[in-house]
Amino acid sequence: MSARGNTGGNQIGFTTEAALLTDLTDEQLLSRALGGDEDAFTVLYRRRQGPVYRFALHMSGSSHVAEEVTQDVFVFLIQRGRDFDPTRGALGAYLFGVARNYVRRALERNYTDATLYSSADDEAHALVIEDDPADGIARRQTSTALWKAVLSLPEHYREVVVLCDLQELTYAQAAEALGCAIGTIRSRLHRAHDMLGKKLQHSAAVAPGGVSRVTARCAS
Amino acid sequence: MTCREFKHTAASLTLWELSRCGDEQILKHAEECPKCGAWLDRQQMLAASMQALQAQTASRQAGPQVERALLRVFRQEPFEATQPVAAYRSAPIAFRLSRFFEVGAYVAVAAAIVVALFLGARLLQERSMKGPAQSQSIPVPAQPVPAAAATAQVTPIEIAPPAHQQPAMSEKLQVASRSAAARQAAKPSGADVDVAQTDDPDYVALMFCDPLSCSTDAQVIRMELPVTGATADRDAGTQLADVIVGYDGVVRAMRIVNSNVN
Repeated sequence: MSARGNTGGNQIGFTTEAALLTDLTDEQLLSRALGGDEDAFTVLYRRRQGPVYRFALHMSGSSHVAEEVTQDVFVFLIQRGRDFDPTRGALGAYLFGVARNYVRRALERNYTDATLYSSADDEAHALVIEDDPADGIARRQTSTALWKAVLSLPEHYREVVVLCDLQELTYAQAAEALGCAIGTIRSRLHRAHDMLGKKLQHSAAVAPGGVSRVTARCAS
Repeated sequence: MTCREFKHTAASLTLWELSRCGDEQILKHAEECPKCGAWLDRQQMLAASMQALQAQTASRQAGPQVERALLRVFRQEPFEATQPVAAYRSAPIAFRLSRFFEVGAYVAVAAAIVVALFLGARLLQERSMKGPAQSQSIPVPAQPVPAAAATAQVTPIEIAPPAHQQPAMSEKLQVASRSAAARQAAKPSGADVDVAQTDDPDYVALMFCDPLSCSTDAQVIRMELPVTGATADRDAGTQLADVIVGYDGVVRAMRIVNSNVN
């Protein structure tokens, strides 16, 4: 259909035709992709792979699981994308729902958060030039503590926290993705926030200066 | 604002909305109530931590090898072949039935044609057999017969056979009739007699009868006729006669065969 070359880095080169596809909606892109349009699939993948990857990453704490889940989700979309019904919700919520099932499966295979601090993360952090190294360390400690707290939550609380707080989905979108009522999402989130607050307080008490310092910085 | 109202209002807000909350009533109540204030502090601390975690992972995405692997899968996927399968899935029974009925319709039409041909052949055969058979059931009329035979009881001894048996029968007639035998046997159907053109002197045409045309069928029937009318002797016995019967069952002509049966 079109010449395709690797431009280097993380992205495979975009064709002119693919660039025109970026104006299309997810559903239109999926429809074209299922008709065999590779460019449409590429655009759709690049638009949606980040949120799916981060959802899996936040849920599992493992970049390896996140990549595997992302791949499985889009393979599922290629093979069974015709099952998607646009009248029942947006494609983004549909993909989160599929990803949630693959994450569950991966976690059942005894994946742990052993790769939470992967070497890739360390390399990425090493490259960041921070104005205040102490502030950066504190922020990292805070986010790491929170991530640990999120990972320690029961699964049905964890997924609403990841979707609503980290992916910034609305309650309605989260309800679509998880297939439950908005009230359920709200009550689960309320309960999860209480649990997280207590966990963070506990970790702040164990290592004072971390969370409280970040809080003070953010409040300012 | 009471604590209950505070909780109710706060629960309707998301974490982000709560962390950026500018609602004076909420903030005022949080300042007044230490318990609600502590809860609000925890929520804001949580929001800040979430923001930090979000910022830390915002740039994370799947590696290029995932995209390459997916494109390989995509290229191997037979999308053109998938569409008919999906259509087949949506209506498998209808699809199978339509295929079945399509073949069945051809078979039914062929069977109907064969049956129609068979019935047509049977009908034609029956019609061809019915013609001679009708002559069997037609009684010899008692109308314009000669005075000698007017009161006679007609007893046919020989009935015109079906068309396929006619040649053999015409041989019998040939034996029976002397002068007209050769002419009679030469006719292909044997039963068709052209009375109008016959000049056989042995045959006597009966009066008050419509003459037969060339195209109409007639039959020659040999029968025994009582000779009482001719001889006035009731015990005189019977005499053989060839009778030409028209298509309407009316006798047109007859001749006396020169042999006494009795």
